[in-house]
Amino acid sequence: MGVPDTGMSQRLVNWARAKSPWITVYNSGACNACDIEIIACLMPRFDVERFGILVKGSPRHADILIVTGHVTLKQASRLRRVWEQMPEPKYVIAMGACGASGGVFHGLYHMVESVDCVVPVDVYVAGCPPRPDEIINAVVTCLNLLEEDAAHGGKEWRQKKPATGVDAEGKSCTVVS
Amino acid sequence: MTRPVTVETIAERMKEFGTVEQVRKNRIRIRTVPDKIHDAITTAQAMLGFDRLITISTVDNGETLELLYHLIGSHRIIISLSLDLPRDKPVTPTVSDLLPPAGIYERQIHDLFGITFEGNPNMKKIILNEGWPENEYPLRKDWKPNAGVFYGGIKVERM
Repeated sequence: MGVPDTGMSQRLVNWARAKSPWITVYNSGACNACDIEIIACLMPRFDVERFGILVKGSPRHADILIVTGHVTLKQASRLRRVWEQMPEPKYVIAMGACGASGGVFHGLYHMVESVDCVVPVDVYVAGCPPRPDEIINAVVTCLNLLEEDAAHGGKEWRQKKPATGVDAEGKSCTVVS
Repeated sequence: MTRPVTVETIAERMKEFGTVEQVRKNRIRIRTVPDKIHDAITTAQAMLGFDRLITISTVDNGETLELLYHLIGSHRIIISLSLDLPRDKPVTPTVSDLLPPAGIYERQIHDLFGITFEGNPNMKKIILNEGWPENEYPLRKDWKPNAGVFYGGIKVERM
């Protein structure tokens, strides 16, 4: 359990971070419908940029990673590397039915069971594909988590297990590089 | 001007390579053997104007693995040259020297069905991930994921 940093500069950073989340989108083998819904978010009808949500090309600039679709065996290590490149604090949104459980691809020979086996997921969005307003809702949920984490001084208060750990009971996932 | 290519002229020309069968109006299927596939494609290209390879497809029909080379030309007739290969030792000569794009199809078929194409210069993995184990061909009908085998990507441990 970390101690929250209440210095002036840190509070300014937390404020700025919550007011303008930068997002990177990673397609780990999806059918592109989720990506098209994200593009619909950027278009004038939904226009997420008026909320300060920017889609960036590089994970090194981003706070939130949106994983669209299931993870193939080939993409698992790549997705892990993209996640590792992001600066802390970082949040992951698994998008659509495929991101949660594999969707129609569940149980195929080339599939990882879910995004959760590769990177720790904070928010799941249901739908195939989710509507743009649901995506915006997921990002806002992430921002609430971000503010709560800043107040608690870290993510540990949510008792989230890292993706590489082996927990005492139930399933656990390890990444083999 | 040469005479137009019709179904009859194709059947006449290709019958030395195997049985010719008209499946539909514009589709002809020729059952041949692996030793004649090279000559059959050369003949179809040079004499009958089948200058484009659509794809190579594979069917696992239980006993054998059936390989189909689909060729088309400007006359819009499609011929499918089919080979029956035994499951335990599926080997056939490559056609990538005649049709260079066929090399990529052959690598995919080698990944997913385990058919070996002799003479293909670059028989590496193309479609499966890097850590995929040897001698596991996922699109064969009798293939099942083996619980003890690690197929690459990440390792999920269940207790």
